[in-house]
Amino acid sequence: MSLINTTNLSFDYIKRDEDGNVEGIIRAVDDVNIEVKAGEFIAILGSNGSGKSTLAKHLNALLFPTEGSVWVDGKNTSDTSSVWDIRKSAGMIFQNPDNQIIGQVVEEDVGFGPENMGIPTEEIWQRVEESLKSVGMWEYRKSSPNRLSGGQKQRVSIAGVIAMHPKCIVMDEPTAMLDPNGRYEVIRAARALNEVENVTIILITHYMEEVIYADRVIVMDKGKVVMQGTPREVFSNINKLKELRLDVPQVTILAHELKKRGLMLPEGILTAEELSVALQKLAGLRE
Amino acid sequence: MLRDITLGQYYQTDSILHRLDPRVKLIGTFAFIVGLFLANNVAGYLVAAFFLVSMIKLSNVPVKFMLKGMKAIAFLIVITVVFNTFMTPGEVLIQVWKLKVTKEGLIMAAKLALRLSFLIIGSSIMTLTTTPNQLTDAIESVMGPLKRLHVPVHEVAMMMSIALRFIPILMEETDKIMKAQEARGASFDSGNLIDKTKALIPLLVPLFISAFRRANDLAMAMEARCYRGGDSRTKMKPLIYRRRDVMGYGVLISFLACIIVTRVLF
Repeated sequence: MSLINTTNLSFDYIKRDEDGNVEGIIRAVDDVNIEVKAGEFIAILGSNGSGKSTLAKHLNALLFPTEGSVWVDGKNTSDTSSVWDIRKSAGMIFQNPDNQIIGQVVEEDVGFGPENMGIPTEEIWQRVEESLKSVGMWEYRKSSPNRLSGGQKQRVSIAGVIAMHPKCIVMDEPTAMLDPNGRYEVIRAARALNEVENVTIILITHYMEEVIYADRVIVMDKGKVVMQGTPREVFSNINKLKELRLDVPQVTILAHELKKRGLMLPEGILTAEELSVALQKLAGLRE
Repeated sequence: MLRDITLGQYYQTDSILHRLDPRVKLIGTFAFIVGLFLANNVAGYLVAAFFLVSMIKLSNVPVKFMLKGMKAIAFLIVITVVFNTFMTPGEVLIQVWKLKVTKEGLIMAAKLALRLSFLIIGSSIMTLTTTPNQLTDAIESVMGPLKRLHVPVHEVAMMMSIALRFIPILMEETDKIMKAQEARGASFDSGNLIDKTKALIPLLVPLFISAFRRANDLAMAMEARCYRGGDSRTKMKPLIYRRRDVMGYGVLISFLACIIVTRVLF
């Protein structure tokens, strides 16, 4: 059964002037049909303004569709009575780590979600411990969030969502404001959650390197889903990605160029290791 | 540098006062202030002084550290003393030109100076031994009954703790904006008062815009984490009275009783 399902989802941003008259309508999401199964790691790619963040906010019932519908764990997000159930089953991580930490101490921030859900005190502590350990931030539990690095703050935010025991976590460009180290920390934490705890992850990003581990990549442009498939399938189509103003991992471009010059390389090489193995095979150094 | 600023000057150490339930300390501070205003003779002040000294001892906070806080309001005390000495009518002791020092004035000045310094030391003991977080919890809990009068107690407490969380962030941001403006030739410390005030506008406008943006983001993050006000919320660190807290209340009641006794007897 699918965990998340959107059918013909469309969303309009309505621009108003100072008197509240409608100035213009911008269709941010246009007729999107996606399906996410439990346990999947999905990456959503797109350049600025492609509607990927707007789509993400629909999955947590922070925005409601103008047309079509969104189903999360069997519940329709437009049904106001199930909003809180949906927010419990689909957690959300935002871009700016500073603006989503509420507590003044790490452990208190992680406890914020469970507190809102009315979980008994003892169980809150248990959940806080589990989730801080699962992102490797347990030893910082007494620290002030202001003293942590960006990557650490973002891991605390992830712990805060895990403590609510969601079925799925939607990450809306969680690494956009981080340095390479922080990006690596956050992506590693997300992958570990997916592989070890089997939490469904929907990662929205424009960094290609973060996408290669996903089970499935969805590429968006101008509010529409334009490509969908495994990372290998998507990255085989370099020309189309360039058309969409998306970067392609450098290794993939290199392999693509080599292939154009006549080397018999497979399509959609994603990592340096893969390329090196393929080249060694070509040179007859490896079977 | 800016991120080191803590509000309420909490002093990190371990003492019985630090471990006391913040509600006891909050109510205790109020009781102490009430006691100060009830005291109207030497015996009363002695009781208050004894109470204060024992609290300072119990708090384990160095006296030096405590007196630092007094510096800021020393000026206020001096003004109060000067005005009361010269302005109170009564039996004249010394007269220089038009300035008269009266007996009543001296007594009044001494009383007020004592009251003010006791008041400030008393409340600083609370802030020195209680983290801002605990204090917000205590305020929420003590004000709880006002909920029946539709006072948004939980919301106010939540606002206070969010404000505390964002003060260092906004400070840092101010620092950043100032540097960015200075890099483009702005100057914040030259010219007269009007120039200086004008120079603040390009600092305040971006700061406000960013604060609103942050507030918007934070509200969304809170909603995404199922925040819907104080009802049906549980506490991760609930306030629970222990034996020492009950004893604390006992001490407070006996303090107030002593003050009332001095008032009646002397």
